[in-house]
Amino acid sequence: MPKAIIQYVRYVDAVNRVVGRFAMYLVFAMIGVLLYSSIAKTFFLPPLWTFEMAQFLMAAYYILGGGYSMQLDAHVRMDLLYSRWSPQRMAFVDTLTSVALITYLVLLLYGSVSSTEYALKYGETSYSSWSPYMAPIKLIMTFGIVLMLLQAIAFFFKDLATARGRTIDGRLLADVEQAGGSSS
Amino acid sequence: MSYEMIALLMFSSMMIMLLTGQRVYGAIGFVAAFAALMLWGDGGSEMAFTAAMKLMKWYPLLTLPLFIYMGYMLSESKIADDLYKMFHVWMGPLNGGLAIGTIGLMVVISAMNGLSVAGMAIGATIALPELLKRGYDKVMVTGVIQAGSSLGILVPPSVVLVLYGMIARQPVGQLWLAGVFPGLMMASLFVIYIVVRCKIQPHLGPALPKEERQVGWGEKFRLLRAGILPLAIFFSMTGLFLMGFTSLVESSAVGATAATVGALVKGRLNRHVIEETIRKTLAVSCMFMWIILAAMCFGAVFDGLGAVKAIEFFFVEKMGLGPWQILIMMQLSYLLMGMFLDDTAMLVIVAPLYVPLVGLLGFDLVWYGVLYTITCQIAYMTPPFGYNLFLMRAMAPPEVTLSDIYHSITPFVLVMIFGLILVMIFPDIALWLPHWHYGK
Repeated sequence: MPKAIIQYVRYVDAVNRVVGRFAMYLVFAMIGVLLYSSIAKTFFLPPLWTFEMAQFLMAAYYILGGGYSMQLDAHVRMDLLYSRWSPQRMAFVDTLTSVALITYLVLLLYGSVSSTEYALKYGETSYSSWSPYMAPIKLIMTFGIVLMLLQAIAFFFKDLATARGRTIDGRLLADVEQAGGSSS
Repeated sequence: MSYEMIALLMFSSMMIMLLTGQRVYGAIGFVAAFAALMLWGDGGSEMAFTAAMKLMKWYPLLTLPLFIYMGYMLSESKIADDLYKMFHVWMGPLNGGLAIGTIGLMVVISAMNGLSVAGMAIGATIALPELLKRGYDKVMVTGVIQAGSSLGILVPPSVVLVLYGMIARQPVGQLWLAGVFPGLMMASLFVIYIVVRCKIQPHLGPALPKEERQVGWGEKFRLLRAGILPLAIFFSMTGLFLMGFTSLVESSAVGATAATVGALVKGRLNRHVIEETIRKTLAVSCMFMWIILAAMCFGAVFDGLGAVKAIEFFFVEKMGLGPWQILIMMQLSYLLMGMFLDDTAMLVIVAPLYVPLVGLLGFDLVWYGVLYTITCQIAYMTPPFGYNLFLMRAMAPPEVTLSDIYHSITPFVLVMIFGLILVMIFPDIALWLPHWHYGK
């Protein structure tokens, strides 16, 4: 693989790891907001903002965490045939079908960009009594989708290398396995 | 091309994409977003993201990460260990007693969280090694844990019923209550099966040897205290929700807090447990959310094509089937699809097609929710694609082989199908409690 691609994969992996590990802690924010809401509702006045704040947190949580969850190999595959293939063959088929995955993410990004543009241009607010601006969460979602797309492309390169029997930095897979299976 | 043909083409290309082994969300999302683009051009190009906004506004979905968090907190912090000991001591002297105790343990864990994964993890890591050490048959024990943990989605709180409630637009409170008796009935059926089987073949589940039974009554009652924590968690979550103090989503946050506090009180809340819990929560939540995101786009395109009407027309007009025949056929097709399709994908793709049809045919949608959940339970366990099977393979000790796991489920799947038929014939098993509580 050319040096630029190796660098790209390394940076994308690192950025998604940092962002994903940040998103991981948002679960406590969700619990906190909802807990506050139930306490405030029982003893004081029901707050207006918790409902939507929790929704924003959830959207940020799974979209920002998306790239990292791909690194954790969390996404299920239907492995009726897949599980019977050799790692090399899995990687080869993945490079082909990655095109579909990347197409989906590009379409997702296209939609999010135009929706964010609208929100920024017209100062869109949500239909509720709290009525928050929608642009911030849409910007966060767009940022997350970009990261997910970059991660999917990074996986495409990794799979391409594996399909050719090499690791991403060009060592032979067979050698790496002999050395004890520590891959980059 | 007619709309029916497009719908059929979409469905079959999705199946082919899934077969290639690409991540499920990518396979579904691609077919959906691409079809939208082809069908409606620029107007359809934003449908993928529209689904993301719709998903965000699906308020009950917030329970999903919180229930997952709760389940991992319970299993990672091992606060269920004492609970297992309680059942161990109390049920041990019977033939097959530890297996029965394990079912009891699973019911209690099911009442504390909404997915089957926590029960699975606790069963495979705590109960399974103990039972194997005591000379229980490994095939039977594996089946007991898989069947028992699947109760997690039937006994309230249940994530599957929350998702179903969103799709079918039914109140989650009623659905949860409707799951109580079928869940307990299912557990009893498992117990009956174990008792009968161990009566005929005592070597499958030997009673505890004499010296191990020598536990004083003081100790026995002391162990009962292990039941306080689950009761507290159950009350703080499901109790407060059913009494109307907290909303559904708030109650899931209260439950997550209760599980964390429980771990803290037991002194099991350390860095490692927190790290494992939140990392796995993120991984599993993202897996679910991205599939739901893709499937919602798929569903929107299908809706745009009027596919539900087409399916109804096909069954009612063309095939001339009565409501019951259609219902039974739907359940059968579910079981069949459950073998090949991931159950999350099944839930979000197939349910939106079937549920409106069930409503049109005049069936009670709360009752159908229970039928639907039991079918999901069975699908969880049937090879080749059962989520539980893979979890089991990942968590069980090495002497349990994949073929053991495949063999173990057969009797339990038959028992579950029997339970499913009982609920179909006697809807009151499910409906009595919600009707009584909500005074219909």
